[in-house]
Amino acid sequence: MRALVVYAHPVPESFVAAVRDATLDALRGAGHEVRLLDLYAEGFDPVMGPEERRRYHDPVVNEQPVAEHLALIQWCEILVLVYPTWWFGLPAILKGWLDRVWVPHATFIIPTAEHGPLPAMTHIRKLAAVTTCGATWLVSKWVGEPGRRTVMRGIRSLCHPRCRTTYIATYKMDSSTPDSRARYLAKVRRKIGQL
Amino acid sequence: MRVLVVFAHPVETSFQAALHRTVVASLTKAGHVVDDCDLNAEGFNPVLSRQERIDYHDLSRNRQNVDPYVQRLLACEALVLVHPVWNFGFPAILKGFFDRVFLPGVSFRMENGLVKPNLHHITKLTAVVTYGGARWRALGVGDPPRKIVKRVLRAQIKPFAPVDYLAHYDMNRSTDQTRAAFLQRVAVAMERF
Repeated sequence: MRALVVYAHPVPESFVAAVRDATLDALRGAGHEVRLLDLYAEGFDPVMGPEERRRYHDPVVNEQPVAEHLALIQWCEILVLVYPTWWFGLPAILKGWLDRVWVPHATFIIPTAEHGPLPAMTHIRKLAAVTTCGATWLVSKWVGEPGRRTVMRGIRSLCHPRCRTTYIATYKMDSSTPDSRARYLAKVRRKIGQL
Repeated sequence: MRVLVVFAHPVETSFQAALHRTVVASLTKAGHVVDDCDLNAEGFNPVLSRQERIDYHDLSRNRQNVDPYVQRLLACEALVLVHPVWNFGFPAILKGFFDRVFLPGVSFRMENGLVKPNLHHITKLTAVVTYGGARWRALGVGDPPRKIVKRVLRAQIKPFAPVDYLAHYDMNRSTDQTRAAFLQRVAVAMERF
């Protein structure tokens, strides 16, 4: 299948970069056609400006500022997001990518009096999030995992109705050990390989 | 009280901008001192950089790029967030405000590996929020922005400080009446702040 990996971390030598590489290896190993979108390397601007916001609801016009990125998410059948969880959510650069690229009409149909929002990205059949959390598992659950829900329920609702989701997180990153990190990388390889 | 209003919407003719004006005017009318932080107008950059990430836990260096914002956060006695919900969360510019300004040593501190709250000078928190979709739909995805306000931010400010979450859901199907009623509700809440 066609797989898009969207990666968001500012430090090239970070652990999340190793997680990204494990994800890419596992997808290629499973025979998928893989593309990588590195938001920091691209210098992606996550801020939706006034002009873009004014045209946000205009079909076709609203696709122009983000046409290349939109083409990528229209191309893929597997979407994998690799990011650190900051403040229980997505880094701003990734949140802004959702804000700016996942525009109405192209990715979902605006709700009306007759119906709620309808998905328009039904070619995406598998959705995964691979993330590192500073907080513990318990605290993450108590807060309600805003980042996980934004992706696994929010973005999921714009994909194929039977789209399968996979969430692979590691907790307490700040007190991780070489051993715990190696175990997590192995888990990422295994689960992404099975997508 | 000294109130920091953090506003995140790019369009000055939007309903959100009307809410923002109402919040600032009503707080001022009630005698509060308002520090109006319009993130889009101020050109706030929400992207945490490589160097900022590397310095994140270094208390002597981590705030140097955002010190004016840190000072404003530390100087306020109450915090009001005014923002839309986009794609089930904060607009990126506001998410980045948390990423870059709510730093170790600012909003929390690490003691023996445990996170301790550090915003006890904030004695009141209100969010004024608009959602495109219906309330049940927001609940269906777990309402992430409400959880951040009601659970994460609440845990960092003064214990038992009042936290108010004023939301207009279903903006895509809102009417003049629902918007006017919400503006009124926000004005009343801010005048009584």
